Amino acid sequence: MLQVLFDALSLGSLYALGALGIALIFGVMRLVNFAHGDVIAFSVFALLWPSTDAVAIVFAGHLPWFLLIPFVLAVGAGLSVLSEIVVFRRFRHASPATMMIASFALGFVIRYFLLMLFSSRPKSISLLPALSQPVEILGARMPLLQLITILATIVMLIALSVFVRRTRFGLEMRAAAENFTMARMLGVRANRVIMGAFALSGALAGAISIILGAQTGTADIQMGGAVMLMAFIATVIGGLGSLEGAVLAGFLLGAASVVMQTVLPPEARPFRDAFVYGAVILVLLFRPQGLIAARGTKERV
Amino acid sequence: MASFPKVKSVALRTISTPLILSAVLVVLALVTVAYGSRPFNQTMIDIFVRVILVTGLYIFVGNSGVLSFGHIGFTCMGAYAAAWLTMPPMMKELSFPGLPDWLKALQLPYGPGAVLAGIFAGVFALIFGRILMRLSGIAASIATFAMLAMINTIYANWESVTSATNSVVGIPIVRTIWPYLIGAIAAVFIAWAHAISRHGLALRAARDEPTAALASGIDIPRVRLVAFTLSGAVVGLGGALMAHSIGVVTPDTFYLGLTFITLSMLVVGGIGTLTGAVMGVVLLSLLIQGLRWLERGVPVGESTFALPGGLQEILLGVVMIVILARRPSGLFAREFVWPARLGARRRNSSAATRNVPAGDA
Amino acid sequence: MTRTRLMTGLSALALAVTPMTGALAEDADGNIVVGFATAETGFMQAYDKPAQDAAMIRIEEINAAGGLLGKQIKVVNADTKTDRAEGAKAGLSVLDAGADMVVVSCDYDFGAPAALTAESSGKVSFFLCAESIKAGVQGVGPHSFSASVLAAVQGATMAQWAHEKKGARDFYRLLDTSYVYNKGICDGFDWMLPTLADANLAGEDVFKNDDASIAAQISRIKALPKEPDAIMLCTMMPGAVSAIKQIRAAGINSMILNGSAVDGSYWLSAVPDLSDFYVPVQGSVYGDDPNPDVNAFNALYKEKTGSDPATQYTYPGYVMIDVWAKAVERAGSIDAGAVVAELEKMDGEPTLFGPRTFTPELHHQNKARYLIAEVKDGKPGIVDEWTISEPVPMEALMK
Repeated sequence: MLQVLFDALSLGSLYALGALGIALIFGVMRLVNFAHGDVIAFSVFALLWPSTDAVAIVFAGHLPWFLLIPFVLAVGAGLSVLSEIVVFRRFRHASPATMMIASFALGFVIRYFLLMLFSSRPKSISLLPALSQPVEILGARMPLLQLITILATIVMLIALSVFVRRTRFGLEMRAAAENFTMARMLGVRANRVIMGAFALSGALAGAISIILGAQTGTADIQMGGAVMLMAFIATVIGGLGSLEGAVLAGFLLGAASVVMQTVLPPEARPFRDAFVYGAVILVLLFRPQGLIAARGTKERV
Repeated sequence: MASFPKVKSVALRTISTPLILSAVLVVLALVTVAYGSRPFNQTMIDIFVRVILVTGLYIFVGNSGVLSFGHIGFTCMGAYAAAWLTMPPMMKELSFPGLPDWLKALQLPYGPGAVLAGIFAGVFALIFGRILMRLSGIAASIATFAMLAMINTIYANWESVTSATNSVVGIPIVRTIWPYLIGAIAAVFIAWAHAISRHGLALRAARDEPTAALASGIDIPRVRLVAFTLSGAVVGLGGALMAHSIGVVTPDTFYLGLTFITLSMLVVGGIGTLTGAVMGVVLLSLLIQGLRWLERGVPVGESTFALPGGLQEILLGVVMIVILARRPSGLFAREFVWPARLGARRRNSSAATRNVPAGDA
Repeated sequence: MTRTRLMTGLSALALAVTPMTGALAEDADGNIVVGFATAETGFMQAYDKPAQDAAMIRIEEINAAGGLLGKQIKVVNADTKTDRAEGAKAGLSVLDAGADMVVVSCDYDFGAPAALTAESSGKVSFFLCAESIKAGVQGVGPHSFSASVLAAVQGATMAQWAHEKKGARDFYRLLDTSYVYNKGICDGFDWMLPTLADANLAGEDVFKNDDASIAAQISRIKALPKEPDAIMLCTMMPGAVSAIKQIRAAGINSMILNGSAVDGSYWLSAVPDLSDFYVPVQGSVYGDDPNPDVNAFNALYKEKTGSDPATQYTYPGYVMIDVWAKAVERAGSIDAGAVVAELEKMDGEPTLFGPRTFTPELHHQNKARYLIAEVKDGKPGIVDEWTISEPVPMEALMK
C-alpha cells in the first residue's frame, strides 16, 4: 500500500513538474507550448558531445552533481528563453491555434536538430549513478532516486509558490496570468514577465530531464513526449492558468496511472491508458473549467 | 434562421470556390498521369489523401473554431474498417480472428468499402460527439485528444479484432490516381455544401459571435455535432483510401504525427477557409517534396548541390514558423472566387452574407 | 511542319521520362541490380545502415570474385525517410531503376510498404532484419524473405537455455506492449515454458516502451513471496535500458533474459556493473566469436565503415546477400520464381552466422543456433551456444 503511494507520488511528481512548466507559459501568454517536450530532450543531450556513433560521448555529464544540476537547469532555461525571443515574441497577438502550431513547428525543429547531431539511436548515459541504490523507508523498498524525486519536487513546488507569492516578480506574473492587458496598464513589464515565465518553465524542463535521465539512463530524442502530453492534460484538467491546479492534476494523473496498473487484471492492463484518458474526459465533462478554475480564463458567453 | 439568405442563391454565389479547387486538383492529376513516374504518382496520391483528411478536419475545426486533436482517431477507424471490408477472407482469418463470421466472409471492392468505412467512422464521431460537443474551447480540444489516445490504445491492443500493433497487410493496393482524385473532390464539395447549409452558417455564427448566436436561438452543441459527425466521416473515408494507397495499416500511423501534420497544413493554409485547407496541403506537400529533392542532390553545373540529411525537416519547421509569423491567419485567409472582383464586391455587401465561405475574411 | 515539331517535342519528352518509368525488364548495361529501399534518414536509419553496410561488403566480395552469373551487381538506393508512405515510394523508385531484388527496411512495419511494391511487381524482397513471421509468405507474399531469425526463437532459446544451463525454475514475464517484436519474444517464451520440467510462471505484467516510470510493475515483482529465478524481459530500446535500470535500482537481482534487440555494449554505461544479464546473438560483436571468420568480418567492417559493428543486427545484411546470391547461381537466372524456388530448397545452408533454412511455408528461421552473451560486472562476452530442441511451431508464431 505504502509502496503504491510512493510509486504514485514519484510518477505524479514528473507530471506535476511538467504541468507546471506548461501552465506558467500558458498563464502569461495563452500559449500551449508543444515544444516543451523537446526542451526536456535537449537538456539531456546537452550533457553529450554531438556524435552519431552508437556509444555516447559524455561531455558535461561528468560534472559533479552540484555543477551538473545547475548546468542542466540553465540549458533548459536558456533554450526556453531563446525560443521566446526568436519565435514566440512574434506571436503575441496570434490566435491560440496559430501559436500552438508554431510551438509544434519549433519542437519539430529542435527534435530534428538533435537527430542530425546525435542520430536517432537512443544514447545511454549514467547520470548521478549514486541515486540508483535501493533504500528502505517504513518497510517499503524503493530506489533512492524515487525518494529524491518526490522530495525535490516538493521543495521546488514550495520554493516556487514562495517565489510567486512573496516576490515582486511573482506578483507581476500572477497579475499577468489573471489579466494580461490590465497588468500591462498597471505597469507590469510584459517582456520581463514573459521571459521570466519561459526561464522558469525551461528550468522545470531541465529538472524533469535530470530525473528522467537518471531514472532511464537514456537520452532519446523522443523522451520528453510522453511526459509532455500527460503534463498538457494535467494543465487543462487542473484549470488552465492555475498553477496549483496543474500540480494537483499532475499528481492525480500519476496516481490514476499507477493505481490502474496495480488493480487492473492482466488482460486489461494493456488498456490502462484508455481508462486513464476515459477518466480525463469524465473530469472535463463535470468540470470543464478544470479542478481549480483560474479567474480570467473562463469563456465569457 | 429566417434571416439567413436562401441556400440556393448562396450556393450559386459560392460555387466557384469548390470548382476552382477541384480544377487545381484535376490539373495536378492530369500532369501526374501525363508526365509522372510511378514514385511521383504515389506522391500525388499521398497529397490527395491528405487533401481529404485536412478538408475533413476543416469541416469541424474551420467552422467551429474548436481545435480537434482527435480526428485522426476516426481516420484510424476508417482505415481499419476498410481492411475489415476489403481484405480476402483468408487473410482476415489470420489477422482478425475475432471478427464476426459474416464480416470475415465479406469481401467488398475498395470503392463501396471506403464509403462504408467513412460511414462507420461517422457513426462513431456521432457517438463521441454526443458526449464531447458539450465542451468548448481548450477543454474540448483536450477531450478530443483524450479520445484519440483512447482509440489508439484500444486499436493497439485489441489482438483479435485489430491485430494490435501488428501491421495489417493484405489490403488491396490501389495505385491509380483517379479514386483518390474523386475522393478529394468529393471531400471539397461536402465541405462546401456543409459550409453553406443552415448548420454550417449557424456554426460559423457561433464561432464568431457566440453570444449573439445563442441569443438568436442557435443550439451550439447541436450544430457542432453535425459538423463533427460529417468531418469524422470524411476523415474516415480519407483513412480508408490511405489504407489502400500503402496497403499496410498499423495503429501508430494514426497518432500524434499525422494529427500534427494535418493540423499544421490546415493552420498554415488558413484555418478558416476551404481554400486554405486544400491549398495548405498542396503547397506544404510540394515544399516537402522540393526539400527532399534538394536533399537527394541537384546537379548544379559540374557539381551536385545537396542538403545535408535531416536538414529538410528543420527547414520545413522554420518555413512554417515564418509563414505563421507573417500571416497568422494562414496563407489563404480568403477563399478563391471567380470572377475575382465578385469577392471584392462582397466585402461591402450586407452583414447577412458575411459568413458564407466566399466572403469569409 | 508544325505537326512534325510537335511530334519531335513529344518524343523528346517521352525520352526524358523514360529513365524514370521504363527500364523494368533488364538493366541496360547487363548488370544485376539490387535496390535498397531503406531509411537513410530518420529513426530507422540507425538500424538499417549497419545491416546495409554489411550487405555491401558481401556485394563487393561477389563483384570482386567475378560477379553473379558473370554479371556485376549494381546497387540503387531510395530513402524511405522512416515513413511508411515514403517507403512505398522508395520501393517503386528502386523498381523503376531496374531492381531485380529489393532490400527493405529492417523493421517489419517500416519495410512492409516497400516489400509490397516489390511483391506486386513479382520481384524478390528481403527484409534486412525483420523478426516477425509476416515478413514473408504469411504477410507480404510468396516472394518475400527475412534475413534474420524469428523473435519467438529468441524467447524460446533463452527460456530453454536458462532452464537447462542455469537451473532457472520460477520465471517472471515482463512484456512491453508497444512493439510487435516484443510480443514475438514473449510468444516464444510462452510456447517453451510449459515444455520445461518443473518450470512455472511466477507472474506477469506489461508496460509501455515510453512509460516514464515502471515503479508499479516493479512493486508487483517485489510483492512476490520469492524473487523469481529469471525475468523474461520482452522489450527493445530505449525502454529496455530504462526497465533494466529500474529493476536493478529497486534491488531485484534475478537474472534477466532478453531478445537480441538489447545486444551491444553501447548502452551498458547506463547501468554500471550490470550482472546476470543474458542476450541471444547470431554472432559476437565483442571480438570473442567462436568462429574466427566472424572476427575477421568484424575487422573488415571496421575497415570499411570506421567503427566496429555496434550490435548483431549488422550481420543479417551479410547473410541476406549470401543466401540470395547462392540461390541466383543455382537457379542460373534472376527470374524471381526460380530464385524463390532455390531459396526454398535451402535446408541448413551454412552461412557465416549459422545455418539457414527456407521452405515454401516459411521464409524465415523458426530454429537457429544462437550464441549466448552474458553481461557480467558491466562487461559483455559470449559464454555459451544454444539451439532450441524443436523448431517453434506455426501456432506459436501466428499468435
